[in-house]
Formats: sequence, structure tokens, C-alpha cells
Amino acid sequence: MLMAAKISLLLLAQNAPYRDSIPGTLVRFDMMPVPGAQPLWIGKTEVTWDEYDIWAFRLDLTPRERSSGVDATARPSRPYGAPDRGFGHHGYPALAMTYFAAQTYCIWLSAKTGKKYRLPTDAEWTRAARLGLAGDSALTAERRDALAWHAGNAGAKAHPAAAKAADALGLYDLLGNVAEWVTGTDSGGRPVVRGGSWNDPPDRVGPTARARQTSDWNETDPQFPKSRWWLADAPFVGFRLVREP
Amino acid sequence: MSRKSQQPRDVTRREFVHTSAAAAAALTFPGAPALMRRADTLRIGLVGCGGRGTGAAKDCLTSSERVELVAIGDLFPDRVTECRANLARMATEDTSGGLKAKIKLDDANAFSGFDAYQKVIGSKVDVVLLATPPAFRARHLAAAIEAGKHVFMEKPVGVDPVEVRSVIASADLAAQKGLAIVAGTQRRHDAGYRAAMQRIHDGAIGDIVAAQVYWNQGGLWMKPRQPQWSDVEWQIRNWLYFTWLSGDHIVEQHIHNIDVANWALGAHPIKAVGVGGRQWRTDAAYGHIYDHFAIDFEYPNGVHVLSMCRQIDGTASHVAERIVGTRGSSDAHSVIEGAAPWRWDAQTPRTNPYVQEHADLIASIRAGKPLNEGRQVAETTLSAIMGREAAYTGKEITWDELLNAQQDLVPAEVKFGPMPVAPVAMPGQTALARSWRSA
Repeated sequence: MLMAAKISLLLLAQNAPYRDSIPGTLVRFDMMPVPGAQPLWIGKTEVTWDEYDIWAFRLDLTPRERSSGVDATARPSRPYGAPDRGFGHHGYPALAMTYFAAQTYCIWLSAKTGKKYRLPTDAEWTRAARLGLAGDSALTAERRDALAWHAGNAGAKAHPAAAKAADALGLYDLLGNVAEWVTGTDSGGRPVVRGGSWNDPPDRVGPTARARQTSDWNETDPQFPKSRWWLADAPFVGFRLVREP
Repeated sequence: MSRKSQQPRDVTRREFVHTSAAAAAALTFPGAPALMRRADTLRIGLVGCGGRGTGAAKDCLTSSERVELVAIGDLFPDRVTECRANLARMATEDTSGGLKAKIKLDDANAFSGFDAYQKVIGSKVDVVLLATPPAFRARHLAAAIEAGKHVFMEKPVGVDPVEVRSVIASADLAAQKGLAIVAGTQRRHDAGYRAAMQRIHDGAIGDIVAAQVYWNQGGLWMKPRQPQWSDVEWQIRNWLYFTWLSGDHIVEQHIHNIDVANWALGAHPIKAVGVGGRQWRTDAAYGHIYDHFAIDFEYPNGVHVLSMCRQIDGTASHVAERIVGTRGSSDAHSVIEGAAPWRWDAQTPRTNPYVQEHADLIASIRAGKPLNEGRQVAETTLSAIMGREAAYTGKEITWDELLNAQQDLVPAEVKFGPMPVAPVAMPGQTALARSWRSA
């Protein structure tokens, strides 16, 4: 165990790819280094339901802890319906969470793992996208189709993580599939998502794609106040982790 | 990337003329509030101040012009206080600015207690929104219709045959009195469902031979018991988990999908056989309801509908309907496959059905052609209860025996105090005829 920890530290020091786990579960996720002056890792895939479920549905708690309501304020409310919209679950990107929920997941994961996980900044996301395209930011239709799920090829649904080709950084689905929350806001103070999604036409899926949250994204939540955790009408929004040392 | 919405319109040409006249009057006498109040302004009262009730009030106020929220009521004082704070927040957050002027509440018309609904109904309201736990729906509806009020009521509208019979009687009385009843089975007011269902009824998939309906998901919220709560208060605050309050999740939640089957077939089931149980959500904090059901409903002409619902974490989610005909099939809202294929155009604006149901209600009142969905939603509620009873009793349950059954799960007078939790239903032992007294 100690040996494994030492090896893991060594690999991190070299800013190499690594595989992390959510303690107490069998869930694993992969992080890839982003070349640059400061060490930074970014999720190889969008955060999947396998990871998100542990937190959102309190699968790390015992039934007794769950029924006592412990930790209730820091976890999502129970969705009334199927949060995955029937697209698929195991291996699929988690979706339709609010910016607040995505941020809170990162805080929980950091506490759970002892590592500093967070959402990418807008600039970090852009840099990863540009490096991933290896300078070829003018996406040809063929390249876009090879890398990204968009409205022209997705069949109106999200797809399993890493079903398209990896980019030059080894990242999957940075463009398309689900659009990804980043920290930082647009000029109106609204959070933004990057990269475009399965719901966007091809010309709105790419390294410069940026969309701000509108009221349409949660129009049909029938409760008031509306959920601060789930977006009733945005099954095209997800997120990806970054980690700094 | 945006899901286009458009505000529903309830303005007929005649009303437009009226509104224009009012606007002209207002221009002539600026600052004369009495002239701003149109004679046909509808006064709205809310009964049940939780998240859905407050949301329903917002939907109603958003749906139409000349509607005002003038009274609210809830069993619990803390929910009333919370609701008023949320209404204030609603007014502040409303970017259109229209909601603030439509919320006209003060201390004198915010009520709590078991009789709060009577006080709301007595507040010179025209329309009552009923959004308490389902156990109280039938008696609240009866009081509202008796008092001559139009009603929006959330589903389900009862938990047992006694309640359903009462709702049917109220619906008939509403028809005699010219009162409107719209129910919160909002798929009936969703543009996509309406477009698909129109085609299905026009024969796009031929004769319907079968359907499958599903609501499979994880568990829902639960409020840990507080020491100061009596049995009854604890149960009402956790109403989802007690059959006498919610009807069980097949009735409370899966009713939406069963309603789609009834709508497609233009009928209710004539009998049902089913299985179900309480396998995962077994802690006493979750009352006595089941966590899964699978029902085989038989409709006229030998049509069978498979119904499946589950609330278990970590299992496959699926909330959907599928209607199968001799010439094709449909998801009932966006796609028809087969001989006459059709697909909902994603670019078509799709109004929020939770708002549209109120727009339709208000427009029908103003047009003098009140919608009355009372019997329809009562039948759908009884259909879902039929599924529950098939699983609970383990017997084949027919429509007629259920409709006439002596099953009375809600105490005649509900008050705070002791109330034992009825045992979990046991197939082969639980009887169809049972009452809260024997629980």
C-alpha cells in the first residue's frame, strides 16, 4: 500500500497521466497532464455517472447514514425522474447538473481524495482544446466527426465517454457530447459551458464554442424554488475535472 | 443550445378588445388603480404551499393576464412562512416584472392548520389550486366545487376507491355548475404529446395492440423524524412513504405514464395482475410503501399494457411510454415509426406544459367553456390504484370490484397525534377491503 503511494507520488511529480479512485468504491478515473509552465492535469473523459452517482446518490454512505439525513445539505436533491434521460448510464457522461452542483462535486471529491480537484477555468479549457487539436484549430468536418458527438451525428442523445477518437492530449469528448462547465462567467455574470454538445449543430461544436446558461435550461422544473442541483431542460451539460498539485 | 420556449396565449379577440379598452382607460386616468382592475380578473387561492404548490402558483400567474394570487394555505405554519418568502423571491427574480403585481398577499390571507383550505376557499377566490398530499385532494375538491370555485388540482386525486368516487361526484357537480377542473397530468397539455396522440387517434399506427409504460428511477427525498413530531405530523411531512397519504409511488408518480396509456386507448383497464415489493428501501424512515411494481393491465379488446415502476438507487432509469399498433409504434410525444412515420420538429417552440395547463384552464373559464378533467384524472388515478392493489393483494383485480370496494385508507378526521404505521402489504394476505381503522 505504502509502495503504491510512493510510486503514485513519483508519477505525479513527473506530471504523467495517472489513474485515481474514489476511496471506498471501485470507481476509477483517469487524469492527463496538460503541458505548460504550471503542472496541471485534466480529466481524460467527462465525469461519468459512475463517478457522479457516488456523490449525488450518497452511495458512499451506509443505509443508516442515508436515512439519518447526514450530509443532506452538501448533496443534490433527489431528482423526480431519470437524470440520465434514458440515454444510458454506466460509462456515459453525467449530465444536467447545475454549475453549483458541478463545483460542489469537485469540493467533495477533493475532500475524499485529498487532492485538489476543481472545474477548469475558461482559459485552461481553451488551452487544453487548442493543444488537443495540435494547432489545427480550424476543424474540418471530417476531423470534427472523428472527435465529437454533435447534432449531425449523435442521434439526439449523449454517448458513452471515449467512444470517439482521442485528441492530441489523449482527451476524449472535449468537443461535443456534453458541453462542459468552466469557472468564470460571461459578461452578464452567468456561468458558461464550453465545447458544444450532442444537441448543437456542427458549426457550434469546437474549441471556441461557448454557451451561457439561459432560463430555458431549467424552464420545466415544476417546483419553486427550482432545483439548485439539476437542470430540467439541459441534458446537454456536463463537466470535466482539472487537478493542480 | 437553448430549448425554445414561448409564452402561452390565452387572449381571445374579444378579450383583446376589452384589454385595449382598459389600457385606454388607464391612459386617460393615470394612477387610478380601480380602473386598472378589470372586472374579469380572476382571484387565485393556493392550498398546499410546498415546492409544487408554489410552483403551480407561479405557473398560473405566468400563464395568463388578469390573474392574482390572493390567498394561500397549508397545514404547517412553517410552510406558509416559507411560501411567502419564496413568493417574494419569485417577484424579485421575475425579469418580465409582471409577477409582482399579480401577488397580492398579506398576513390576513395566509392561513395554516387543518382548516386552512376552507379559509382559502372562503377568501373570495375564483380559482383554487390544490397541491397538498393526495390524501386530502378529494375532500378539498368537494369543498371547492361546493363553494362554486374553479379548480386546478395536482395528481393523483385520491389514494383509494372512496376518494376516487368522491372526485367523480365532484366532477359531475362541477359540470352541472359550469365549473372548470384541470388536473396536473401535464402531458395532456404538452404540445408534443398532443401532436403525437392526435396522429395515433387518427390511425397513424393502426389499431393499438399493446403498450409499455415505465417510471423507473432512484429514491426520492425523505425528512428525518424530529422528536417534536407526532406520528401524524411525521407521516404527513414524509407523505410519499405512506399509502394513505400518497397512494404509493405507482399512484403518486407512475400515474403520469398510466395516464398516457389510458389517453392513447381512450379507455381505462378492466383488470390487472401484478407483482411488487419492498426490497431495498426497507428502513422505517420510509414508511411502508413498496419500492417496485410490475403490472399487466388488460384493456378492452384484449389489449395488454405492461406497466413497470421502481424507486431503487443504482438501477437503470427509464421514464417513458411506448404505444404499439398494427401499423407502427410511437413514444407518444416525439416519434411515430412504421407505415406513417412522423417526428416532432425540434425547432418548433414547445410551451412549458406546466404553464400551458393553467393557460388552458384560465382560457376555458373566460371562454365560458370550462374544461372538466375531473372524471378523466379520477379514472387514471383508479387505474394506478388497480395496479397497486394487484400487487398488494396478489389477486386479479377488476375495475368494477375496485371502483365499488370498501377500501377507506384516509381517516375521516385527520389530526395530530398517534397513528401506527400500517404493515407492509403482503401478497396473498392483504385484503382489498380494508380501512385505516384496521391498519
